[in-house]
Amino acid sequence: MSTSTTISGFTPLRVTYSSSSTHIIYVRAHSGPSKKGKEAAFPEGRTLFLANVPPDATERELVLLFKSAGTVEMVIFNGDEEELGSVEEENSDEGESCEDDGEEIEEEVEEDSHPRKKRRTGKGAAKLTAPQVVLLPPRPARTFRKTGSTAHVIFTDASSIPRALAPSKKDRSWPSDPESPLGLAHYAALHASLRPPLDIVRAHADSWMELFDYEEAKKKKQGKYRKGEAIVDDDGFTLVTRGGAYGQTVGGGVGVASKQFQQEVRRGGGAARHRKKKEPAEKETFYAFQIHEKKRNDLIELKKKWEEDKAKVEKLKSSRTFKPY
Amino acid sequence: MALDRKRKRGAEVIVQKNPTVFEEEPNRMDAEDDASAGSGHLSSGAEESDGEMQVEQEEEDISGKPVTTSTPHTTRRPPTALELRDIKDATDLYRSSSFKLQIDALLPNARPKYKHSPPLDRFLAALHGCLNSIPTVEPRHPLEASKALLKKGIAVPYISPLPTPETNWKVGFEKPSEILLVGSWPNKLSVKAQDKQPFTVDLAVEMPSTLLQEKDYLNSRFFQKRAYFLSVIAAAITNKKKGINADAYFTSPSGDPRQICLTVRPNSGSDDDLTKLNAEVRIIPTMGSTSPIPIQRLSPSRANIRTTSAGETAATELPTPLYNNTLHLSTTPKAQLLRSHTLKNLVPSYADGLTLLRIWANQRGYGRGSKLCIKGFESNGAFWTGVMDLLISGEDTSVASSSKSAKRKPLGKGLSSYQLFRAALDFLARHDFARERIFVKSETVHKFAPEEYPSNSPVFVDSTGVNLLASIPIGSLDTLQYDAKLTLDILNEDLTAQDPFREAFLKDHRDLQTRFDVVMRVDLSSAKLRVSSTHSTLDYGSLYDTLLGTLLSSLRKALGNRAKAVACLHHPCEENLLLETDPTHSPTIYIGLILEVEHAFRLVDHGPTADDPDPQAATRFRDFWGDKAELRRFKDGSITESVVWDVQTSDDRTKIPYYICTHILGLHCGIPGSDIQHWQDPFDATLRLPEDVTSVYRAAKAEAGFKAAMTAFDGLVKSVKALDDELPLAVVNISPITDVLRYTSVFTPTAITASSFTSLPRCAHYLQPMDVIVEFEKSGRWPDDLRGIQKVKLAMFERLATKLMESSPGLRATVVVGDPIATSDIMDTASLEIVTPQGWAFSARIWHDRELKLLDTSIDDRPHIPPHIKKKLPGGPDPKVVRASLEAKEVYVRRFLHAPRHHRAVAALCHRYTAYAGTVRLVKRWLASHWVLQKYVSVEASEILCAAVFLGSAKMGTSQPYVASAPGTKERGFAKVVQLLKDWQWQNGIFVPLYGEREGDTAELPKNDLPASGKEGVWRLSTELDPDGYMWTRDAPDAVIARRIQTIASATWSCLQNMERGSLDVTTMFAHPAKQYDFIIELNPALLPRYYQNIHVNPSVWARKGKYANVVDQDKDNHSTVQPGYDPAWRLFNDLSRVYKDTFMLFYDPLGGARFGGVWDPRLKEPRPFKILGKFSAIPAAKEAAKDKTMVVLNKEAILCEIERFGAGLVTGITQCI
Repeated sequence: MSTSTTISGFTPLRVTYSSSSTHIIYVRAHSGPSKKGKEAAFPEGRTLFLANVPPDATERELVLLFKSAGTVEMVIFNGDEEELGSVEEENSDEGESCEDDGEEIEEEVEEDSHPRKKRRTGKGAAKLTAPQVVLLPPRPARTFRKTGSTAHVIFTDASSIPRALAPSKKDRSWPSDPESPLGLAHYAALHASLRPPLDIVRAHADSWMELFDYEEAKKKKQGKYRKGEAIVDDDGFTLVTRGGAYGQTVGGGVGVASKQFQQEVRRGGGAARHRKKKEPAEKETFYAFQIHEKKRNDLIELKKKWEEDKAKVEKLKSSRTFKPY
Repeated sequence: MALDRKRKRGAEVIVQKNPTVFEEEPNRMDAEDDASAGSGHLSSGAEESDGEMQVEQEEEDISGKPVTTSTPHTTRRPPTALELRDIKDATDLYRSSSFKLQIDALLPNARPKYKHSPPLDRFLAALHGCLNSIPTVEPRHPLEASKALLKKGIAVPYISPLPTPETNWKVGFEKPSEILLVGSWPNKLSVKAQDKQPFTVDLAVEMPSTLLQEKDYLNSRFFQKRAYFLSVIAAAITNKKKGINADAYFTSPSGDPRQICLTVRPNSGSDDDLTKLNAEVRIIPTMGSTSPIPIQRLSPSRANIRTTSAGETAATELPTPLYNNTLHLSTTPKAQLLRSHTLKNLVPSYADGLTLLRIWANQRGYGRGSKLCIKGFESNGAFWTGVMDLLISGEDTSVASSSKSAKRKPLGKGLSSYQLFRAALDFLARHDFARERIFVKSETVHKFAPEEYPSNSPVFVDSTGVNLLASIPIGSLDTLQYDAKLTLDILNEDLTAQDPFREAFLKDHRDLQTRFDVVMRVDLSSAKLRVSSTHSTLDYGSLYDTLLGTLLSSLRKALGNRAKAVACLHHPCEENLLLETDPTHSPTIYIGLILEVEHAFRLVDHGPTADDPDPQAATRFRDFWGDKAELRRFKDGSITESVVWDVQTSDDRTKIPYYICTHILGLHCGIPGSDIQHWQDPFDATLRLPEDVTSVYRAAKAEAGFKAAMTAFDGLVKSVKALDDELPLAVVNISPITDVLRYTSVFTPTAITASSFTSLPRCAHYLQPMDVIVEFEKSGRWPDDLRGIQKVKLAMFERLATKLMESSPGLRATVVVGDPIATSDIMDTASLEIVTPQGWAFSARIWHDRELKLLDTSIDDRPHIPPHIKKKLPGGPDPKVVRASLEAKEVYVRRFLHAPRHHRAVAALCHRYTAYAGTVRLVKRWLASHWVLQKYVSVEASEILCAAVFLGSAKMGTSQPYVASAPGTKERGFAKVVQLLKDWQWQNGIFVPLYGEREGDTAELPKNDLPASGKEGVWRLSTELDPDGYMWTRDAPDAVIARRIQTIASATWSCLQNMERGSLDVTTMFAHPAKQYDFIIELNPALLPRYYQNIHVNPSVWARKGKYANVVDQDKDNHSTVQPGYDPAWRLFNDLSRVYKDTFMLFYDPLGGARFGGVWDPRLKEPRPFKILGKFSAIPAAKEAAKDKTMVVLNKEAILCEIERFGAGLVTGITQCI
């Protein structure tokens, strides 16, 4: 079978697992992003878009796979987000699944959310020294993604793309990364890594909380809520929202309706609270004909129910339910 | 407007047309209600009954007219008076209107189709002619007479003792003096028997009184003559030339050779073919009222069998009540027929009520059928008519009764069929057959005084004066009573519960495994009574009946209040060819016990005290119990004769009833234990660990058992609470949420100490951590941020761990940071792993109540804005955050709110129902062995399902009454759960009153608000706290798995039914057929820490491989301490199922399974167009298959290769099944 043909614009890249089985990675040069602000993440011209990446692939393994084509700068997996984005992505059959925003990709790259925090604070408040978070020991490098997921491979050089897409005579074999083991060893390592020494846990939690407090303090400083001052927007309206002490607004000054009251209003019971048990405007049993009408309707209702029951049993009967044995 | 008004007037007129109906109706109904509602006061309508009848008659007159003039009705028209009466009747006289309609639909199906009866009429006419044309046989010596008949191919079924040449009486034949159709057929009261057994048309053939002599009541002489009489008829019928074209067999309906009858079945193909009608004719020789035998001689206190020589006086003879009663029965068929005819005419719904009662009885094995039936009820149609007679006529007030209880008064004659049926059940459920006697009121005075009846047998004398229960063991009546109670309970239940109609009439309740707590299959072939007397054998009529009689009465006596009922089931007697004489009994019987759980497992039975005034009492006790009886001194100082059952384990304890039965059967009936088959041991074995492993535990003196685990938990709670001062926040509560701490884990928990760990094989290294939840006191210092809370939890864990390790030496505590899969940082993932010095492992989590509030806010920050407005508003929370929060909330609600409550409820249930824990354990084991537990059926879901069997699915009030149908042993519980799973229409859901709490308490629990479309589970198990019913079944089982479980349950059920054939093999129910999977992933059992729990464990896996005993196992891995919860196979299984969720389904036995089974998603079989997110590993389809180049197919080989890579080291091979 020749692999030169493309499938929906993708070049199938044959990767042999063993003598009998071949895995196919579908490769295409990354084309322009639909939204702006993506260029930084996936530089056009030297980014390769891969579909159907092996679920256990690591960055290193993909680097090794494309070694012949050129040096790989970065590998970005986006399979993990597929559960969430599946609805949107299915709409755009083109598969431009690079629509995920940049922040998320960072998360993917770094595996853990803590470094992100660190970086963000670094950006946000450079003048104050933000506390550093002590990291927990890293998990084993392998992350198992759902099968059939996609990835972006960014080469250092644009010339690598045609080389990577060029049909090769020989099937490439799947390189395996000896540093991140699989199978039993993986699970043993995972088990161990989830149980870090106590002092690291403590240091991590403490430093994280320090950072948290720091950020909270900073937010507070930036916030427009000041104690004792009502919040008035540009148009001169005062913001009335719960949060202050003693049933007052956040800034103070104006009282806010109690929660209970609000709930009652929402339930529609507000009116009932004030006017208790209003008599119906019309007496329903004033005229004799009304009484008879009511009686008659009751009887009709009764009969209707009876007919319904009958129909039900008739249905059961037709399904031969009443054969006792 | 005017027109409108006019029309209304018209309607008015119709309504007012017959005001009497409307006025009278409610009153009458009230009166009826009083009579029927309180089932205890059934007899209150006695005096009014006449008046009622009149009212009804009048109504019929009044309302009869509108019928003829009634216009074609539409639903918009008010019902006519007649319709109205029907409706009112249905709702007031029946359980509900649909119940009435269902009864109406049922009844015709249970009755013979009389439209097919012409061939029967023709056949009966032919038979009549044949019987009348039989030539007279002159009286002659019985042996001589039988020799003559033998030539015609008929052996006269003489009773033992057989006539001898010295016999001085003669047998003969004359034309029957009367031939009469009797029984239920002529009155059109026949009810279809189970399993397509034919209807019997009873034909009473009266023996002319000239054939009988006065002294024929003595020594079975009447029966010998009767046998000869019947044989002559048989000879005439089978006569090739003169006879009719029919087969004839001797049958003995109740197994008593004295009551032998002739069953005649026309040959198929003849014009009298009765196969369409499915009927056969039974010829019963009877004795006319003019017979010379004096009825007074048949009193139960008379001795009519002379075993002593003629010289002695009759005073020393023992009475022969059974014999006398049997003889008496020969006179009654005609009288019973007349009586039932009278009743049928007297009470309009008599026939329907009787039919309902008999359907009910047939469904429970009190009647003929090809399956096992209850001993004594094989052919006792007269009993059911007798019961109806009693209800309608009441008890005879003239008979002085020893008990001063009020006599049953007659019921009203206007009762509906359902009310009659209920009254009958009420009588059966309340009447104490063993003590009280019943004499049905009749026109004639009862012939025998109550004192004349023997004290140890039930007495139910019908209007003809025979005791209908004489030959029925009391155990069978106990069973009847129990069944009646159950049905009454169901009928009394709320309308919303399970369909009571189905339960009462349509469901077959004869299955041994769900009916009895203990089932034993007894082979009687080597039985021999210890004390056998010719007298009782003669009284019973056969050795078999004597044996059964003794066996059952001694069993009943031995079990005492341990059992509610001791039932004996057997296959009814086969029909005999005309050349065989003795009725053949099946050599095996089944003994079913319904246990009284409170007493059943008592260790000691007390007998008479040492200073008992009656010196014989002790002797009798010793005689009854044999060498088991001992004189013992008890703690309270009393010295009594007693029987003590020593038990080693809790399994042994549940076997006490079985031990008693084997002991008694061996002692009194000479039945060796090997002839008694019982199924508890193999069931127990499925819950036991292999001996190799338990011996290591024992050697290390490891703590084991549920009690020990709970003690360890209490110890942990104590040591944590002791740390209060050293922790930043005090611990308020620690609640367990694991099945280990509620008696329901499959295996009894065992601690693994450091010493036992090293000697255990690697495939037994698994230690189950017990999940607990720690609740700290409330504090304002928690951060108001979800991520922050998780971090503070880490800090709390760290502090707790440090302090715990300081305070209790030897304890090991580790913080587990996060979940191997979930990466969400707002979900509760961290836990504290504690291994106590004794070797118990705990996994603690922290419950912080503010989390829920924060999650709610992040899901919906503006709850006060209605959703349709919110949709239009800009902004709103990030969908990704919402999703993460929803997931976190689901985990939170389940783990911290529902799990502890569930745990407490289940633990309480375990205490209330002793068999519940065992049932859950068996069911879990079964589900696990079929590879669906945990992944597809959560542990909690299986517990709720089991609870359904114990609690019933009815909505109970605030207090949960003890449910009478609750199984008493785990085997029965298991069978019931299997039955439930087999029959359950999961589309309808099931309600289980697990918590038994008031409605008010239930509102507080927040619901999970993950979108309903996202749920895949189809099992709806609602409880009071979870009305939606998807708390434990949200993701699984989906429809595919649910159907699969149903299939497995049906297979298991049919396997359980083998119990009736004695060929039940318990292990096959737990053997999973692996053939149905597309591929099987084999794991290396030696590396699985849980392999020792495997159901079909292979001990060679951990057998020492090397040559030298002292060589340390090379691959003994580096960890030398126990790793709680470390199970790589389970991890691998979860990873694979997650990664390939859309490619295949994976199945695995979490309890030590060594194989995964996978099934490809059938949707991926066809080539499909290529998509980037196809969610499966694809390979371009072969050229010829796809013209279009973009078609791709599933790349199976590559996936299997990836699986092998995933499980490197664990997976030993993958086999594909085609």
